[in-house]
Amino acid sequence: MYAWIYHRLPGPPPVRLTLAVLIALAVVALLIFVVFPVVESVLPNGQVTLGH
Amino acid sequence: MAGASSVSEADDGQDTESPDPAADVPTLFAGGEAGVTGRAGWTPRPSGFRTPRPSRVGGGVERAPGPAGAAGPDHPGGAGRRMIVGRVARGLGELLITAGLVVLLFLVYQLWITDMFAARTQDRLHHQLDQAWGHPPPRQPGVERARPAPALPPVDLGDGLAILRVPRFGLDYSPVIVQGVSAANLRRGPGHIPGTALPGQLGNFVVSGHRTTYGKPFSRLDELKVGDPLVVEVRDRYYTYRVTGSEVVTPNRLDVTYPVPGRPGVVPTRDLITLTTCHPKFSASHRLIVYGELADTTEKSAGLPPVLKGA
Repeated sequence: MYAWIYHRLPGPPPVRLTLAVLIALAVVALLIFVVFPVVESVLPNGQVTLGH
Repeated sequence: MAGASSVSEADDGQDTESPDPAADVPTLFAGGEAGVTGRAGWTPRPSGFRTPRPSRVGGGVERAPGPAGAAGPDHPGGAGRRMIVGRVARGLGELLITAGLVVLLFLVYQLWITDMFAARTQDRLHHQLDQAWGHPPPRQPGVERARPAPALPPVDLGDGLAILRVPRFGLDYSPVIVQGVSAANLRRGPGHIPGTALPGQLGNFVVSGHRTTYGKPFSRLDELKVGDPLVVEVRDRYYTYRVTGSEVVTPNRLDVTYPVPGRPGVVPTRDLITLTTCHPKFSASHRLIVYGELADTTEKSAGLPPVLKGA
């Protein structure tokens, strides 16, 4: 999977490597700022108030 | 290959009899995996498309050592099947590793990154309160001194309402209590349940806070003892409450938030505070409730209340 993605990146190795790092960072940012806040709202340890 | 040779004599024999497939593929594999970056860079584009192939073959060999490897030369279709199985196995393995990393990242996020978010938000809230409290409260012209000015002008959901200080948690413990208890509000700090009393008002000032994430303001709520001071700082005064007790309840016990906890419909005669958080830590099964009662009100012009001067 990763090899497949890597081989589809354009340019010489330095460019590919930079792109790969950028993509990885974008995925991490997406997880931290979008996915995880949604996921944690259905997890138990965020429930601190009463009446649910 | 050492494992294959120890399995049976027949495998061992076949391995030595036909060294070509066994010896050839690993070198291809090694060359493909390690050399992909280098080779793709130094050779023109077309060979760049060829280089991934060996690594796929390598994946197949990796997956099926010994017997399957030996069966390869006998069946012409075996190599293709092995290649597909290898690719699927490799892709599956990479997916599983990725899933593991995502779970790991989620843990890091929950345990540390949310704390960093909350610390930044709290800094901003402190700054906003400093600014708001530095100026005289907005006065409405008509109702001048008709009744004592409310100590707290209404604040929007998510905005800072007061500062909580608990000497038992250290003198630098000073989370800003925000208005509201939605998930977004609670990410900013402990939240005041709208509709319950404000600090210093008759009734029950109810505040919920995170225990394990987002700065974990209420992580040590279980350490409070009867008589411990809870100081709520507003624009012009400090309200010093004293802890009167605590209990662990099920999440549906809305009655702990009533003006007189546990007694619906009873008109309050005292100023109370109630802190709620999850219990046990990392669980939603119960809530930890700490009750307190207003013991002392100190004007800010008179300096810090005695309990905060202590250490």
